[in-house]
Amino acid sequence: MDSGAVPIDIEPHLRKFQKELASGSVALVLLAVLGRSDRPLYGYEIAKRLERDGEALVAGKQSALYPVLRNLHAAGLLDSHVEPSVAGPPRRYYQATALGRAVLAEWTGAWHATRAFVDQALAG
Amino acid sequence: MNASIPQNIPQYLAQVRDALAGADPAVVQDALYDAEEHLRAELAANPGVPESELLRRIATSYGSPEEVAAIYRDAEVTVSRAMRAPAPPARRTLAGRFFGVAADPRTWGALFYMLFSLVTGVFYFAWTAIGVSLSLGLSLLVVGVFFIVFFVGTTRLLSLVEGRIVEALLGVRMPRRPAYPHRHLPLLKRIGQMFTDARTWSTLLYFVLMLPLGLVYFAIAVAGLSVSLGLVAGPVVALFIDGVQTGLYLDGSLIIPAGIAFPFALLLGVVGLFATLHLARGIGALHGRVAHRLLVPGGADVAEVAPQAASAAAPAGAPAVA
Repeated sequence: MDSGAVPIDIEPHLRKFQKELASGSVALVLLAVLGRSDRPLYGYEIAKRLERDGEALVAGKQSALYPVLRNLHAAGLLDSHVEPSVAGPPRRYYQATALGRAVLAEWTGAWHATRAFVDQALAG
Repeated sequence: MNASIPQNIPQYLAQVRDALAGADPAVVQDALYDAEEHLRAELAANPGVPESELLRRIATSYGSPEEVAAIYRDAEVTVSRAMRAPAPPARRTLAGRFFGVAADPRTWGALFYMLFSLVTGVFYFAWTAIGVSLSLGLSLLVVGVFFIVFFVGTTRLLSLVEGRIVEALLGVRMPRRPAYPHRHLPLLKRIGQMFTDARTWSTLLYFVLMLPLGLVYFAIAVAGLSVSLGLVAGPVVALFIDGVQTGLYLDGSLIIPAGIAFPFALLLGVVGLFATLHLARGIGALHGRVAHRLLVPGGADVAEVAPQAASAAAPAGAPAVA
């Protein structure tokens, strides 16, 4: 996205770091979106919401959302069901479970703690 | 990158499939399902925009086929590392290797699968037998066509369910999503595809096979467990109950006195129990391969990618933020 501004020999390092950051934060972001929503959302809808809300999610591609959704579902943090749709293909809807909401609260705390720590380290 | 820009969804999916060549077929199926769901949703959300134009946009939002493939390869490594039950510590001694089988979660999963397979085996067989005979009978009528479509659809669903059971209990990666239906094809084409699709036949074969296999698995598990547990429990029970004739009798005369028979029975029971566990783990591994081969399209190349790929794809200093 901002690759034009970054010198060519720095870019791979930036890419790698962004990927590593995303690997943890995508799950938090997805859980937050679904935890806040009062109705189930499907993958495409979540992707568009994130796209609208901010710069394309932490430099990641939207295809990375689907495996994470599946993992959160497998871990019991999300419920899911498939519904046929009128306009397009059947859609898989996701919704945060009670466990998911509890975990979200804990993750939020961990995120704030990490962010404060990193900010402090960067400020010297 | 070098591949031409896809002009329509099937081309895009074909490129994802190509880019995932060599990956576990179950991963490929999941990746294709997710991509098709997203692409068709995009298409439905933007009526009037040509498909090729949408696919150009997709490359920057959802990702190009190569990027999608890379993401699924990476995600699979992470997931399988997280899901895989930790391997039991390698044991050096012969006794450690023999008794260590009880500490391997796969052993218990396989044992449970063997007991459970009697139920599922009978059900799959009955479903297949009824479905095939009704399909043949009704094929004389127009309704038969719809019944065949319905029946094949249910076997696909059942095969997905069986895949979940196999993955949970036997630890073999199976598809988590159904193969995407080819909705854009006319009905007759889709029906034709059902018959030419090798997976339809291999799924039916698997369901039929599950009856004899389930019976044998169940018999082995029950016989092995009850005989060895009986041998262990017998002497113990006899010690605590008075008035039980102890020792090994033949025609009413004592052949082996209790003092010799009990330790021997106990030893035999314990060895038998652990031998049964070994057998269960072996059968579980074997059956996992059979299920993968017959139920997953292109499943012949069983991919045990996880261990090597995990070490190769974990760069130095990857943070543990998962």
